[in-house]
Amino acid sequence: MELMNSVKIKSKNLNVFYGEKQALFDVNLDLNEKEVTALIGPSGCGKSTFIRCLNRMNDVIDICKVTGNIEIDGIEINDKNLDVVSLRERVGMVFQKPNPFPKSIYDNISYGPKIHGKGETKSELDEIVESSLRKAALWEEVKDRLDEPGTGLSGGQQQRLCIARAISVNPEVILMDEPCSALDPIATAKIEELIDELKKTYTIVIVTHSMAQAVRVSQKTGFFHLGKLIEVGKTEKIFKNPDNKMTQDYITGRFG
Amino acid sequence: MSNEHTVKSYEEELRYLIDSVIKMGSLTESQMVDSMDAVIKVDKDSIDKIIKSDEEINKFRSKIDTQIMTLLVKRAPMAIDLRETISSLKISQDLERIGDLSKSNAKKVKPLPLDLPEELLGNLKRLGDLVIKQLNDVLDSYVNKNYDKAKEVWEKDEQVDDLTYIAMESVIDFLSKDKKNLDFSTHLIFATKNLERAGDHITNIAETICFLIKGEYLKGSRPKGKVIQQ
Repeated sequence: MELMNSVKIKSKNLNVFYGEKQALFDVNLDLNEKEVTALIGPSGCGKSTFIRCLNRMNDVIDICKVTGNIEIDGIEINDKNLDVVSLRERVGMVFQKPNPFPKSIYDNISYGPKIHGKGETKSELDEIVESSLRKAALWEEVKDRLDEPGTGLSGGQQQRLCIARAISVNPEVILMDEPCSALDPIATAKIEELIDELKKTYTIVIVTHSMAQAVRVSQKTGFFHLGKLIEVGKTEKIFKNPDNKMTQDYITGRFG
Repeated sequence: MSNEHTVKSYEEELRYLIDSVIKMGSLTESQMVDSMDAVIKVDKDSIDKIIKSDEEINKFRSKIDTQIMTLLVKRAPMAIDLRETISSLKISQDLERIGDLSKSNAKKVKPLPLDLPEELLGNLKRLGDLVIKQLNDVLDSYVNKNYDKAKEVWEKDEQVDDLTYIAMESVIDFLSKDKKNLDFSTHLIFATKNLERAGDHITNIAETICFLIKGEYLKGSRPKGKVIQQ
């Protein structure tokens, strides 16, 4: 029997409403530790809504209501008393469009640790900046221009900077919402290579519209449609021989 | 396929690939029928035509390879489309080998005497008829995506083994009666063995079709009939 990593995140009967409109319906999904889970599905199917529940990003939307449970390491995160700032420290996020702060490369990385009270001295911060940039495979390219603006980097470098920024606070989970959709194939390949490396340390959830990317980077894939999790399973199984016809129709481009 | 791809040209490319495999299969089947006929009737005039038809089969093989490469590069097929593409590659390889074996049998007609006793050819004909029927059935199961029929072909290879054994025995019997028969008897033994090998390629195709339809390989080993010690 193949060994599976233990479950890091567990969603149980998760429902999300934006006002009257229900965006997620009873989603039950386990995400394994130190694994990459890919979420696929047509636009508006709920995959981004789902990952935004994992670090309570939906809290910032007034009309959004979340019911059901999400446990990280067995602790319910929808608890109103939970400190959301420390949750987001544990569950970092990388967005579709690289969004560095309009600050220097150094400040982009050191900002998070500073507000979370990590790295009190300059040398500690220097260390965090270097190790984060190294983990994001960006150090060699930027080490001589750390004081230059992060926005001056190429798209691919900016995205790796955002990954380094997410890593800098030493999270446990990294959420990636279509992190390569604005990047060229080489920059995409670098991010994918990085994801492969990062999964040794972090639990990663990636939303992607590229089937090939899901196959390349993930061990587990979930297919969403109209707010429902239709099928979830080992990536290899989903893309070679899915159980659900709707999954097959979507991944083979037969969705009508 | 129940519903079509959003991209029509993708649908057409897949259809075109499947059609090529079906055409190659039907050509391979006719060639096998002709080759068997030539052996049984000791018809030396048809040898060239059969060799020529093998060239056509080989051309199909390269055409299918090209189609598959294009599909893989352009479409990165997934799930059933991926299995359809990979299966086409495997089936065309087996069909090409079956074509080679039919050609080889046709070539064996040349040294055969015209007055071969009927009892000698009877068992070979029965074997040939069964292998042709198996090929026909397996191609039919491919066209209709019929899992049960493909599995039936796979199971029936046992009968091909048994008939091979019987056909071999009758040639060896004939040979043992008179050593002068050695030369052409050897050719008949090889022809018999070629049919048995063609039967094995047919079971490969049946396995591929089962994989294509269900996404998993048939479990367990195929039933085996009697085999001549080699």
